[in-house]
Amino acid sequence: MTSLDTSAGPRPWRRRAWAGRLFVAPNLAAVTVFLLFPLGFSLYMSFQQWDVFNPPKFLGLRNFRELFTSDPLFLIAIRNTAVFTLGTVVPTVLISLVVAGVLNQKIKGIGIVRTIVFLPLAISSVVMAVVWQFVFNTDNGLLNIMLGWIGVGPIPWLVEPRWAMFSLCVVSVWRAVPFAAVILLAAMQGVPETVYEAAKIDGAGGIRQFVSITVPLIRGAVTFVVVISIIHAFQAFDMVYVLNGSNGGPETATYVLGIMLFQHAFSFLEFGYASALAWVMFGILLVLTVLQLRLSRQRSMEAASGPG
Amino acid sequence: MVGEPFGRRTLLRGAGALTAASLAPWAAGCTSDDENALTFFFSANPDEAKARMRVVDEFQRQHPDIKVRPVLSGPGVMQQLSTFCAGGKCPDVLMSWELTYAELAARGVLLDLNTLLAQDNAFAAELKSDSIGPLYDTFAYEAGSKGGQYAFPEQWAGNYLFYNKKLFAKAGVPPPPTTWDKPWTFAQFLDTANALTQRDGSGRATQWGFVNTWWSYYAAGLFAMNNGVPWSTPLKNPTHMNFGDQAFIEAVQFYADLANKHKAAPNASETQSMSTPDLFAAGKAAMALGGHWRYQTFMRADGLDFDVTSLPIGPSLPDGHAAVSNIGATGLAISASSRRKEQAWEFVKFAAGPVGQKIIGESCLFVPALRSALNSDGFAKAHHRVGNLAVLTTGPDHAEALPVTPAWEKVVALMDREFGPVLRGSRPATSLAGLAHDVDEVLHSP
Repeated sequence: MTSLDTSAGPRPWRRRAWAGRLFVAPNLAAVTVFLLFPLGFSLYMSFQQWDVFNPPKFLGLRNFRELFTSDPLFLIAIRNTAVFTLGTVVPTVLISLVVAGVLNQKIKGIGIVRTIVFLPLAISSVVMAVVWQFVFNTDNGLLNIMLGWIGVGPIPWLVEPRWAMFSLCVVSVWRAVPFAAVILLAAMQGVPETVYEAAKIDGAGGIRQFVSITVPLIRGAVTFVVVISIIHAFQAFDMVYVLNGSNGGPETATYVLGIMLFQHAFSFLEFGYASALAWVMFGILLVLTVLQLRLSRQRSMEAASGPG
Repeated sequence: MVGEPFGRRTLLRGAGALTAASLAPWAAGCTSDDENALTFFFSANPDEAKARMRVVDEFQRQHPDIKVRPVLSGPGVMQQLSTFCAGGKCPDVLMSWELTYAELAARGVLLDLNTLLAQDNAFAAELKSDSIGPLYDTFAYEAGSKGGQYAFPEQWAGNYLFYNKKLFAKAGVPPPPTTWDKPWTFAQFLDTANALTQRDGSGRATQWGFVNTWWSYYAAGLFAMNNGVPWSTPLKNPTHMNFGDQAFIEAVQFYADLANKHKAAPNASETQSMSTPDLFAAGKAAMALGGHWRYQTFMRADGLDFDVTSLPIGPSLPDGHAAVSNIGATGLAISASSRRKEQAWEFVKFAAGPVGQKIIGESCLFVPALRSALNSDGFAKAHHRVGNLAVLTTGPDHAEALPVTPAWEKVVALMDREFGPVLRGSRPATSLAGLAHDVDEVLHSP
């Protein structure tokens, strides 16, 4: 019996493991080819000068040095990205908290409302940018026509640099709210009903309950939404490209890091410089995310050890 | 129990075989076509593409052994080309632009056509006697140790003015000049544009005196050229741009004022919702700045009776000075890495040589770059609606070049940024002095 067990035992197991690997293989290959290889390649390229047509030339840290010391547009791009990130993330979190709070109510027909609110999630960002371009049109745009009804003169949404960044943030918030709201709504639905009942007995109103119970109890989800929103804001490219043009205009109003990267790589054919920029962006995001996670962990520990 | 893994394996094998079988003919079909055909990369609007294919079809009829596969470019030409070439599929024959070919030439992407011309004496002599000097020389470029003729011009694509004859007559405005040699002045042009602008009760324009259908910063620069200032010194591999020159600034301000001060042209907000070529085609604009690539569109517009005229000259030029256009030529180049150089040479010789140029002239595709085709009856017949044909036929001789530098993409990005506020009217043209400084920095360390 024992000899039979040992000889027959490993074979199906090994076969199953082999099949397992086979099933994972396509995905693994895709990850290697489309993720790991480009990552390594771009790191390698960030130390080179490469224009696609000629063999790369090793530059050491020159790309990085140039980026930090002698590229005036890098500072502009950083500033614009910071403004865009703040202008997107703060309104997104606030609005989606309110939206999720409203959608969490048990009212008749809430399913339909939820569907409508989540619709922007299903639209491609390029289509969205094109449609918003019509909305923002100075003379015949929907927004200015509606503002005209209440006596507000035409606003040059995409023509004036100051307004262009504002418009970009509006579209970006509009696009980000549904996703954030889904996450927050799911978290809200996990808050036990009993806590609210207790609060109600203590005489807390709807707003008080929301601020003192709902928001603190979904802090994890809020942190997640903030981290994801910051990452998304840093990656902004497609929408800016379509809405504000390939140079992030007018002037440098919407010249964000994503546009700068694309411009250097595909207009100026400086793939090495663009790769260096990509890694700097990665570094900034990494630091931001780690800081944020630290902060939120600290806060939740304080909350846990606080007066209870 | 024992049968199950085998079943699964058989299933996998079957699926694999099926996939391979379905992919095989597709892959084979793809390669056989790709391997033999000569690839021809060009950009064209839909109207142009049709006429362009006539040239390709005629070439294939005369050279049945050479199959040409046209590759129509999207909007980002450099982006598309770099992707093709990085993937080892650089097109054999490439349409090249006056302003951007240097970037490719300096990187060794384009073949020096003089090497092939030296082996083809008969064609070389024919080309030399028939070519228009400034157009041909546009594509001669020196880059360090490298240098040569990187393309043959296939068209003159300089800008001039289209004007609506009916609107001029209706407003009682005398018709504009008929040649480049006896041009009008900025002041006369402004008066005409003002006289042809009509507004409704609320002050909104219902008809514009002037619209620009080209890139606005290039158009502004063209007015500066007509105020006696070339864009840069020297024009090839420039070290200094003349954006800060007093006469350049004056002309750009004049151009910007047309829209912002005199309201005789649509401003930045207004062009957002209206396509300027459509305004002219619909008879809602009396004059339109553009090149021959607009001809196909205007020719097809219902009820549009138009003619062409020269650009006005600025106050810095003496009276009686001829007006200028820009060269704006595109040419045909051969990729240095092409494995079908001989076939490519045949195609370039055909399209940029007398035979192809004649077809180009007759088909209304371009203003040809060879004198024989430009002055042919075929070209005149194709443009029978144009009264002032001399504006087209002598255009190349009145054309001046724009700068040729490998750093052009960077210069354009800077121009786009700095010309914006000036053309929008939020900053005076004197601010362009700062642009001149920034661009010079880029030119010194590309």
